[in-house]
Amino acid sequence: MAYQNIVSTGSVYKGRTGMWLYLFHRITGVALFGYLLLHIISTALILAGPEIYEGAEAIYKNFYFRIGEVGLMAAVLAHAINGLRIITVDLWSKGSDYQKALNITALFIFVAIFVPTTVKMIDSYFELCLEKSSAGTTIVDCMVRPLPDWKTK
Amino acid sequence: MKSVKRTDWGRRTPPIGGSNFELYAWFFMRISGLFLVLLAAGHMFIMHVFNDTLNLDYEFVAARWDTPYWRTFDWLLLTLSILHGTNGLRIVMHDNIANKSFRQLALYGLYFTSTAFFILGTYVLVAFVRVT
Repeated sequence: MAYQNIVSTGSVYKGRTGMWLYLFHRITGVALFGYLLLHIISTALILAGPEIYEGAEAIYKNFYFRIGEVGLMAAVLAHAINGLRIITVDLWSKGSDYQKALNITALFIFVAIFVPTTVKMIDSYFELCLEKSSAGTTIVDCMVRPLPDWKTK
Repeated sequence: MKSVKRTDWGRRTPPIGGSNFELYAWFFMRISGLFLVLLAAGHMFIMHVFNDTLNLDYEFVAARWDTPYWRTFDWLLLTLSILHGTNGLRIVMHDNIANKSFRQLALYGLYFTSTAFFILGTYVLVAFVRVT
């Protein structure tokens, strides 16, 4: 490559795909660590017995948290696949020559796993909700009702 | 102080008294990351795709922890994710908190929190005995 003038832009970040992926990796990483701590607390409640544990779990059993779970799945998959891309660039001697191809490959792998996963999670939510709720429950009820009555059925 | 030209990059001497800690930390992120792809993604698929969290109850967890293999799986996941996340956050704090006192405070808070949650998680995995 021809000689490039090194001009300070006031920032080391050049604003291309690599920088956004770097930022994205940090944001998902910090978010996942925060979730991990909450998850340890809610799981630790199992030592307090079935009633308290299931009472805490019931908070998550609605459509708003299902959307959150899809977001969690997206964060885990994206952080994992981007992490594999970083490892490839770091440890494969020709990795830095194929950064663009690796970015696109990572995106395709993410979409290929995330889309069917999301379909399954959303589909399964409504199937279980309609199956376990009382007769006459509609899909809209499943979406807006905060606490479905799993345990009564 | 000796001026360092851009062309001197390859010949600069390493910092005095430098340890290899950051090198090992960098390498650890790659290795633990590889394991976490299997452990964390595996955990997500088991809980959210092959099962549904709507069916998650006391019995489900108790049945899993009846076998030492799932307790080991969960403990490895707990340990690696806390170490990986703590080191990641350590780097984020070093990069983004310019004030030295605030940075030290944040880092100590991070190490304290991580240690506490590691102990809590390990205690739950070891001490859990089903009551029903």
